[in-house]
Parts: sequence; structure tokens; C-alpha cells
Amino acid sequence: MKEHFTMLTDPRFCLSNGVTQRFGMGPMPKTVRLNREGFAVDAAVKKKTLVYPYMHLATHPAPGKGDLFSPIYGTVTDITERSVFVDAVEPDEELKKLGESVEKIDLLAREERGEDLVPVLKGLGVNTKSLGQKCETLIVNCLNPDPGVTWAEPMLLSHTKTFALGMEMLRRLSPAKRIVLAIPSNMKFRHRDVDIARVPYHYPASVNALVIKSVTGREKPEGVGIVGIHNVWSLGRVALTGYPLVETVITIGSLIHSGNYIVRDGSTIGELIDFANIELQPGDTVVRGGPLRGESLDKMDRSITKGASGLFIVESGTIPPMEGHSPCVACGSCSAICPARLRPDMLSRYAEFGLHDRCYDEYITSCLECGLCGYVCIARRPVLQYIRLAKEKLGLKLLKTAGVYAERVKQGE
Amino acid sequence: MKDATPTLLLSMSAPPYWHCGRTVFKRSIDQLIALLPAAAMAVVNWGLPALRVMCLAMAVCVAVEAICCWAMDRKSTIDDFTAVVAGLLYAFMLPAGAPWWIVVIGAVSAMLFGKMLFGGHGNNPLCTPLIGWAVLFISFPVHMDPNIVQTATSFIDPLARLKYFGVAEANAIPVLDLLLGHQINALGAGQVGALLLGGIYLLVRGQIRWQIVIGVLIGAGFPFAYLQMTDPAANASAVFHMCSGSILLCAFFMATEPCTAPAVSAGMLCYGLTCGLMMFVIRHFGSYSDGAPFAVLVTSLLSPYFDMIRPKPFGVK
Repeated sequence: MKEHFTMLTDPRFCLSNGVTQRFGMGPMPKTVRLNREGFAVDAAVKKKTLVYPYMHLATHPAPGKGDLFSPIYGTVTDITERSVFVDAVEPDEELKKLGESVEKIDLLAREERGEDLVPVLKGLGVNTKSLGQKCETLIVNCLNPDPGVTWAEPMLLSHTKTFALGMEMLRRLSPAKRIVLAIPSNMKFRHRDVDIARVPYHYPASVNALVIKSVTGREKPEGVGIVGIHNVWSLGRVALTGYPLVETVITIGSLIHSGNYIVRDGSTIGELIDFANIELQPGDTVVRGGPLRGESLDKMDRSITKGASGLFIVESGTIPPMEGHSPCVACGSCSAICPARLRPDMLSRYAEFGLHDRCYDEYITSCLECGLCGYVCIARRPVLQYIRLAKEKLGLKLLKTAGVYAERVKQGE
Repeated sequence: MKDATPTLLLSMSAPPYWHCGRTVFKRSIDQLIALLPAAAMAVVNWGLPALRVMCLAMAVCVAVEAICCWAMDRKSTIDDFTAVVAGLLYAFMLPAGAPWWIVVIGAVSAMLFGKMLFGGHGNNPLCTPLIGWAVLFISFPVHMDPNIVQTATSFIDPLARLKYFGVAEANAIPVLDLLLGHQINALGAGQVGALLLGGIYLLVRGQIRWQIVIGVLIGAGFPFAYLQMTDPAANASAVFHMCSGSILLCAFFMATEPCTAPAVSAGMLCYGLTCGLMMFVIRHFGSYSDGAPFAVLVTSLLSPYFDMIRPKPFGVK
């Protein structure tokens, strides 16, 4: 009922678009910029080191975080606090030999199950934090996470082999007794011996906490975990190829263009936009992630890293511009649309004036960060950004998989 | 790679990067479109004096806002057209023959005390046009009484007729006359049919909340209908009451001003019902023949309490 009286008449908010085209391979990058935040770079990897595909570059101390591998033949040009830069080179005989000597790992033939599988997958560059989370029931969120993103349906319907392998590996890895696929209710899909739950498919229905609610009928139930289909697909990709994960699937979209590509980890957005034949104009906004929850980028040498859902170009002039100071006009649109039944107007005002503590009284911990408050804001306030600011100041970190927060941080502790 | 060309500047902003396209300016334009039929009917029924009052009120409101922004050393906000809407709505509450100085005094107090002193659009605790109206209604009751100002007309005042001539006389007024605005009333508030049209337009566009409108109409209409059913000889019909005074103007345009109303569905419905009930109480038991504007002003003050009626947020037990 609520959908009919709120203002989501935008057809782009339908998350089930009938896209089934298989993914194309993205461009072979000329330069890559790998995210190494928190990673310890291998001693052998220095500036000017020659690297080859699937070469181990860095390790993360967390057991659930996959290692970093080189996606291309190249030389390391720089290693900073945040990134490892690699320029592509034409491999000589020696390097080529090294590249071809990378051993293929047959995951399916291995004996490990459950937690024993975690280090194996870590060594293959797969993040297992959400895949292997401890829960009774694990829901696989098979909806496109953001409007505009279209890779979820092809993952289910067209790349069946990869998906089936991903599910097989997930069953071996996950401690959950039951695994449920949450798929759009209008989708014709069957999968052998897996429970299927049909859920609404209009944004914000794809937000993890709302998928859990659609499947279980309860808000924030105990013992239920959720993992995105993107992760399952990555798992399947590794099982299929037998090599470490150096790719990710993204949607590249603009006003007139949309396509899904398997791109190398660390591909720069400039190359991807060129590859997709999108002409950028001055004043356009380039968004990494979904159009509602992503981040805008300032330079063309920023890169796509594992976990990014898409790359979107928002043409200048297609939306009303956000102008510096714009006070709330109390129109009530955000409260009407909020799927968590919050008052984003009050939350954003508290954050605006630095009264972060008061955000607790407005239940900031229930915010699902869907971004709809900003979508409907007639004053063009950065509402989601204000809420994220308050969360940051309050020390709240969203546990994305479960949609539950850490305990309230008391002042002076 | 394109970043080699230094001319390409990307714009950065905060998420979300898609937007529904609605802005304060477009909202104002929608409101003006909705008010246009009533304004046109006012000119048809009252002639150029009505146009004079409307233009003067809008001009003064815009000027006051511009001066206030300048005095507060702020960026001028007149380009969002909210002052024009407020000015027109305020003019709708005045009689067509109101002298110019009364229009100016009211418009200045509406913008000053009803809007700018609180920080501009969206921060006013009470409906901007009604503040101007209330100042005038209390201070200059004679100049604000359409029956006294509007002498050269063949129209009749339905509420005065009800008060002084009884129910039978009031019920004899054809509803069509009331709808077409053939009644002595404030220049815009009397254009009932046109206001209804405009109000429905705003509802369809989603610019006003149906919960409030329905609440007000039920809250005011139900008691009148009940009284008429129990004692038809002593009470005028609910339709008569809806079409006289400024109930419709208040229901669609004043009570729905979002910053003075609660933000959550249940609260909005309660707010609307209370507002409608107040209209009934003031009109039926009070000394004022209309009572709708006062009802809106009083109920707006209760908004913070209606805001406490809210559903439990997601996952909160």
C-alpha cells in the first residue's frame, strides 16, 4: 500500500529488468590501481617489480579478507598507503613463463569444509566474511543492489555454471543449516535442492535488512545472515577458473547506455568509460557503486575494486544541482518515503548542527542507508551524507551483512 | 585516456545521484497553478479590485522577503517563489475592496512574523498567510469584513445569512452559486469550485498530503452532517458549510503547509481531524461566523504533539 502513495514512480526503481545478456569481458587495463588499505604488501613486491597475472601481492591480516593479486603483466610503479599502482608491460619470455607457471587449484576436489576452507579461499583472493558468517539461516540476496545495476539476473539465469559452483562452494563453506535464495517475485527460476523465497523487487526492497524481513517476516531476527549474490558469483568464478580472483562484475551505465562487464580488479574508470564508448561532458558526475548509495569520483584515474557494484555516469543537467547551503524546508517527503520509518529530516538537522548525540533519540541505528531520503528531498539536501556523518561521529559502523549495529558507545568511554 | 584533457571537470556531490526532480521552486509553481483557477474566478466575480489586491500582496511579500534576506546578509531566496505563493494565499483571505494600506500591513506582518523571523521558508511554526490575516482580522475588523467593504454587489454572504436570517434562508442559496463564488466572502476563499479543482490538482501531483485534507474534511463535515441529520430545521447542511467561509481554502492550502503539519501518516490524519473539528467548534459554538483560519492556526501549534504519534522504527522493539 505504501508504495502507491509515496513518490517512487520512477521506472528505474524496478530491480527486475529482464536483463539476461551474459557478461562481456572488460578491457585489458593499461594501468591498474589496486586498493591495499590494511594490506601488508609482500616483501618481494617493490617499486619496479615485474608482476604477472595471479601473482600474490599483499595479504590482509583479517582471516575473512582475500589476498591481493596482480591482474595483469606489468611493473609496479608506486606503492602508497592506500594503493598499489601497476603499469601494463608486454611480457618477455621469462615473465611469460612465470605467468604460465601459476598453479591451477581445483577447489571442488579439495576436502576442506567449513572454517578450514576459509584460508584456502583467502589465498584465492575471496572475501569470506559474509559468505562464511555464523548463522542458522543464510539468505542469498539475489536482487540487484541498487537501481541501475543489472548484473544480478544474468548471474542467476545466464551464468548458471558459475552460479551453481558458487552455491556448491557456499554450501561447503557456510555453517548455516539452511540456505535460501531471495529472488525477485516475478522471476522464473528453479534451482535444485535450494530453498527459494520470492521477494518484492522495487527499490528499496533489495536493501539487506528489508530482504531479511521479506524472507522471514521479521525485522532484525536472530540467527539470520545475508550475503549478496555478487559474493557467491565470485566464489563460483574462482571454483570455475581455478585461479585467484582478480575480476569483478560491474554495471557501466549512463543515461542511454547500460552494460555488464567482467572487469579486472583495479581498472581505472577512465579506461572503462572509454571502453563503454561513453562521451563525458564537463560537469558530469562519475559514480562508483550504485546511483543511490555510491560515491562520486574526482579523477579519471580512480579505479574499480572488488565489491564495487557499478560505474555510473550522471549527466549534468539531468538532476537539480545540489547547492551548498540548503536548509530543510520540512516538506516531509523523506519521512513519508523512509522504509525504516525514521525522520531523516530531524536526523539530518541534528547532524548539520553537530548535535550527533540526539540522533540516538531519532533511532539513527535503524537507518538502512538506502538513500531515498536524498532522492526525494526537494531542498536537495545531502540527507544520506548527513546521516553517515552522524554515524561516523558516533562511532557507529554498519555491520552490512546483518544490518545490526554495535552497542551504543557511551560518552567518556 | 580522457583525463589528459585538462578541460574536463567532473562535478562531485553527495549520494544519491538520482533525484525525483522535485524542487522547492517546482513545488511553488505547482501551487501557483493550483491557485490560478481561483484567482481567475476572483477577477471574474470581483473585477479589477481583486486583481489589484492579489498583485499588491504578492509584490509586497516578495519585496519583504528580499529586504529581509538582504538585512540578514543571506542569499536571496525569492527565486524559489514561496513568497509569491504566500502572497497570493494571503490575498485570498482579504476582501476584494480592501484598501491598499491594509494589504501592505498584512503582507509585511505575514512575511515578517510568519516566515522570515523564523529563518525563512519551512521554519515557520504557523502558516505564513494566516499570520497576516490574523493581524488584520484582530486589528482592523471593519476593513476586513467583506459585508462592510463589499457594498456594491448583488451577491449575498451565506454565513451572515445563516446567522441572521436562519437556516431556511441559508439553505435556499443554490449550491452552484456558492461553487461559482457568487457569495460575499474573502476574494479567493469564496471561489469554492475553483479551489476544489486546484486542491485536487495538488493532491494528484502529490504536493499535499491526502491524510490532512481528508482529515479536515471529515473532521469538519461529519459533525455538521450529523447535526443536520438529527435536526434539519435548525442546522444548515454540511455542503453549505463546506462551500462557505474559508474551510476549503484552509483544508487544501493552509492546513497542508507541510512545515506546520506533522510528518507521519497517523499524525497527519489526527492533525487533520482535530483541525476540522476545531473549525466545526468555532463555527458552531463560537462568535466568529467562519472560524476555519483560527482552527488551522491553533491546530498548527499542536503539531509537535501530533508528531509524537509515530510508528516504531525498523527493528525497534
